[in-house]
Amino acid sequence: MSSRAGTTPSTYSPSTQKKKPQKPTFNDSNGVRSDGRGFYQCRPAYLKTGAVSAAGGSAYAEFGNTKVIVSVFGPRESKKAMMYSNVGRLNCSVSYTPFATQVRGQGSEHKEYSSVLHKALEGAILLESFPKTTVDVFALVMESGGSDLPVIISCASLALADAGIMMYDLVAAVSLSCVGPSLVIDPVLEEERWQDGSLMLTYMPCRSEVTQLAVNGEWTTPKIHEGMELCLDACKKLAGIMRSCLKEEADSPSIQ
Amino acid sequence: MGSSNASGDISADMEIDAFRRLFPVQFYERHFVKSLRPDARTLNSARDTSVALGAVSSANGSALVKIGCTTMLAAIKMEIMTPSTESPDEGNLAIEFHMPPICSPLVRPGRPADAAPVISKQLADTILSAGMINLKELCLVSGKAAWMAYLDICCLDADGALFDAALLSAVAAFSSLRIPVVSLNDEGRVFISEEMEEGKSKREPVNKEQRKLTLSNIPFSLTCVLHKNYILADPNAEEESIIETSVTVVLNSSGQLVSLYKPGGPVLAYTAAIQDCVALTKQRVQELQIILNEAISDMEVD
Repeated sequence: MSSRAGTTPSTYSPSTQKKKPQKPTFNDSNGVRSDGRGFYQCRPAYLKTGAVSAAGGSAYAEFGNTKVIVSVFGPRESKKAMMYSNVGRLNCSVSYTPFATQVRGQGSEHKEYSSVLHKALEGAILLESFPKTTVDVFALVMESGGSDLPVIISCASLALADAGIMMYDLVAAVSLSCVGPSLVIDPVLEEERWQDGSLMLTYMPCRSEVTQLAVNGEWTTPKIHEGMELCLDACKKLAGIMRSCLKEEADSPSIQ
Repeated sequence: MGSSNASGDISADMEIDAFRRLFPVQFYERHFVKSLRPDARTLNSARDTSVALGAVSSANGSALVKIGCTTMLAAIKMEIMTPSTESPDEGNLAIEFHMPPICSPLVRPGRPADAAPVISKQLADTILSAGMINLKELCLVSGKAAWMAYLDICCLDADGALFDAALLSAVAAFSSLRIPVVSLNDEGRVFISEEMEEGKSKREPVNKEQRKLTLSNIPFSLTCVLHKNYILADPNAEEESIIETSVTVVLNSSGQLVSLYKPGGPVLAYTAAIQDCVALTKQRVQELQIILNEAISDMEVD
């Protein structure tokens, strides 16, 4: 670096000089969101396995502007300090690129995501199929566009399948925001900023089992029921897309 | 890979994969004799290279580069700083190279890869000394406000020749950079003008014409590994792990030498070998320039 690098000047990113940004209204009679979707419509999902050649299995997921890569390594030797274990271990880690968020370097705020990812996947994996060893699941968010965590979870379960780790079922995850009187599924960043409550569901559709349910904020009981039904339905559809992605990959084996 | 059925030694009774893992050097040498590599390349040829601009919409400029399986994602975010007193009319660049754990089985979370800071430093040295960017173009208001360009390069898939891919992605990210139009308010803070929404902005933008940087003397690089008398261009991860001597040559678009790294290694290179590496890099620079120009014209069409 240049000679001035020693004293890093304090910087800020220029913002648009407006009054406080307006809270978007979600009770429009036509029910259309800022990106043209209906309230109960998810963003189109693009999924691809085998994104990283160096990994045992990997997947890339793109939902609107949310872009995630997950690599799976192992089963491999556990860390030396680990105690003996009859069943395998799952190790998850989620990180953000410095440019993933609108303001540089904000991605490090999501420290809890690694443990949430671990808990969402743990129940789906046959840990006893790789005793004494560890499977590492590493996720990188390249761009954060809202609903990051459910995209990471779905992408990770696809990467595990690509790596040939034994699972009971694929895990599909969908989140939903409660904004005022309305429920919006698969929220983008702006909708997440204004939400009064959020709900995330991770689900194994073939077994009809929920691995994780997180409800935050203000909810009424009928709203929770409605939200869960919406998420369950969306998870089933997402799992269908994930399944067809794996099938496509299996039908057209790349020649390496 | 027909070389394994040669008679007279142990390799005749061995499966190719076993031979490859047990005697990697011999395995590779057998290919080199026939001027080939296990991935069917000739010794001097680089892997397929692709450049895609504008991959990250949360950044002001970005590029995704693939050389073979090695993948790099570079993105630039522009922030405002107060220029230092020694150079009141210059902006600044901060360049960082990251190897997140997804890119290689050797990197674990919390334990950064040894190679990352080395490549980070090499990149910063190369980009700043090549004279590609005129820091004066990053100035907004002399002595008051200038751009700080944060360039972050993330390795998404590590399969050898990381520096080459990182430099190409950095250069490509700069060529896709679009600087936002900004104005200065009463307190001396810079904000983004919204000419789109209000028809005309209340304040005159300070950088109306300065939307793109002029890139001159663009640096391109090629890494070669040396084994005995053989020179292998653009090694993959397996080749790099077996052959430890590498030479990285950086030339600019007019063919001038920007930098040359030969970080140790068991092979002591003769002048002739270095000259051969430079000649190979010259050819590669032309290839890379065409690939980059195609990516730029693709972006401008969109």
